[in-house]
Amino acid sequence: MASSAFERGRRRSLATSVAIYLGVLVFAIWILLPVWYLVVSSLITPSQLGVKPFPLVPSSVTLDNYAAVLFGNTGGKGIGSTDMGTRLVPTIGQSLLVSSILVVLNLFIAGAAAYGLSRYPFRGARAFELSVIATRIVPAIAIIGPFFVAFRVIGVLNTPWALVISYNVFTLPLAIMILKNYFDQLPREIEEAAKIDGATRLQTLWIIIVPIARPGLVAAGVLIFLEAWSEFFYALVLTNQLTVPPLLAGFQSVQQFNWNALAAATVMSMLPPTVLVLIFQRHVVGALTAGVGK
Amino acid sequence: MAGAADLLGPKADRAFGLKLVAPAMIILIVLLALPTLLTLVYSLHDVPASGSSFGPFVGLENFTIIFSSPVFWRSAQVTLTFSVGFVILSTVIGLAMAMLLNQRFIGRGLARALLIIPWATPWLVIGILWKWFADGSVGGLNAVLMMLGLTSDYHPFLSDPNTALPITVLAAVWRQASFAGILLLAGLQTLPEELNEAAQLDGANWWQRFSNITLPWLRPVLITVTVFNVIYAFLQFDVVFAMTQGGPGDTTQVLSILIYRQLFVNTNIGLGSALAVILGVVALIGGLTIVRLFYRREMH
Repeated sequence: MASSAFERGRRRSLATSVAIYLGVLVFAIWILLPVWYLVVSSLITPSQLGVKPFPLVPSSVTLDNYAAVLFGNTGGKGIGSTDMGTRLVPTIGQSLLVSSILVVLNLFIAGAAAYGLSRYPFRGARAFELSVIATRIVPAIAIIGPFFVAFRVIGVLNTPWALVISYNVFTLPLAIMILKNYFDQLPREIEEAAKIDGATRLQTLWIIIVPIARPGLVAAGVLIFLEAWSEFFYALVLTNQLTVPPLLAGFQSVQQFNWNALAAATVMSMLPPTVLVLIFQRHVVGALTAGVGK
Repeated sequence: MAGAADLLGPKADRAFGLKLVAPAMIILIVLLALPTLLTLVYSLHDVPASGSSFGPFVGLENFTIIFSSPVFWRSAQVTLTFSVGFVILSTVIGLAMAMLLNQRFIGRGLARALLIIPWATPWLVIGILWKWFADGSVGGLNAVLMMLGLTSDYHPFLSDPNTALPITVLAAVWRQASFAGILLLAGLQTLPEELNEAAQLDGANWWQRFSNITLPWLRPVLITVTVFNVIYAFLQFDVVFAMTQGGPGDTTQVLSILIYRQLFVNTNIGLGSALAVILGVVALIGGLTIVRLFYRREMH
């Protein structure tokens, strides 16, 4: 493998190589320039920010903006008299709470459903599966009205439950699709062996399938977490800045809250999903692209 | 050929399958089917702002109001422009990135990890990031253009009606092109090397290999990617909300922003629901059209 790859690399002309590395340079700039701008903004002072052109390579850096959004150390650093600086950490906690509850709930419910669809098809199973796929097209924005009204009636507006309930609209179909795909690819022989050994269907699922299916469950879990962590519209409408995205949008509309501090808060909000995805990169890309190119 | 009954397995197995699926099925019926139905019902009523009752039945009046409103048609036009730009650019840039990252070069693993970052970033964060990146007084985009000598002074991209929409499209494309790139790269990795080598021996040039081997191979992935892009295009809310909230004027007021305004700023639930129904139908038709378009071409 390695030697044939090497030979192919050799066969490339110099011009092609130059073109490829130029392409890589353009690619890196396309991805990194906005991210670099964000990170630099979070590490400089408002007066450095005011310089034209923007200092892409700043002469000095400071962690004051992070101190401001993490500990509320506003001490005249331009955040003004609002208490918003102290709200980021508790909000990150609430986002983690909502996302984690959803991951656990959905893995159980979607895992059971996907396994049932894959191994014990019943009359209407195929129709159910197709309608699950079709839900990806139903715009979440289009059905917000009934949620808002119903949640006000039962009194869960502004609570984490409003999100834990409503997020199922997109996380549950996603998890079912990924896990169904995953179970379809698992060999059936092990289950048949377990059956011969006298294990019940439920024992087989819990003791044998769940451990084998761990990579698929991890991938589905990460994707559910990402969706829940990133969701903005429902959180904006159904709660009062309970999770990170609506809080950031709120920061942005407060005049005294400058871009340096907002950039620090934005970096903090990007860290959990980015780290999670980079750790589980192979799992996640595998689940996302399962069935692609077949 | 086995009959449907044979495929289904014994009765006890079917019952077990149904038991496993039942919780998910009930949740989806309550949380998806019911609200969809309610939205349809709302769209036919003059719902009071409190939403405590349906209010008087008005038939298709909400739709009549919408279709005779210039605000709606302006918004539909903005949505269409946004969507066309978004779908084409996301797919083309995604394909270019996938083909580049499928080549051999030093640092390829790192480059592939970079590709994932925009996709892992929440849509709203992308909106915030690009709003400031394109800012007219502290923005990085202006800094780069100025350093390259392309402009002599900062330009307020998002308050200029001519550039606001293109910049919001670019921001959304920045994320979605990565998603397309990830899927297309996975598709390219399954392309057998021998196909290209054989064509090369036959004297096929780069373009011939691209259009006769790579593109047809990628067709199923391209369909998936394009359908996702179409859906995300019609439903885009976060990026526009963070960057312009629909302004300046109504130059970036896509339909989702209009729905949000009708439902929660003007609290007109009936009208907002009718708009939501229209958006849902358009997204559905858009997705299905793409699928049909691709399949028809495949038949020829």
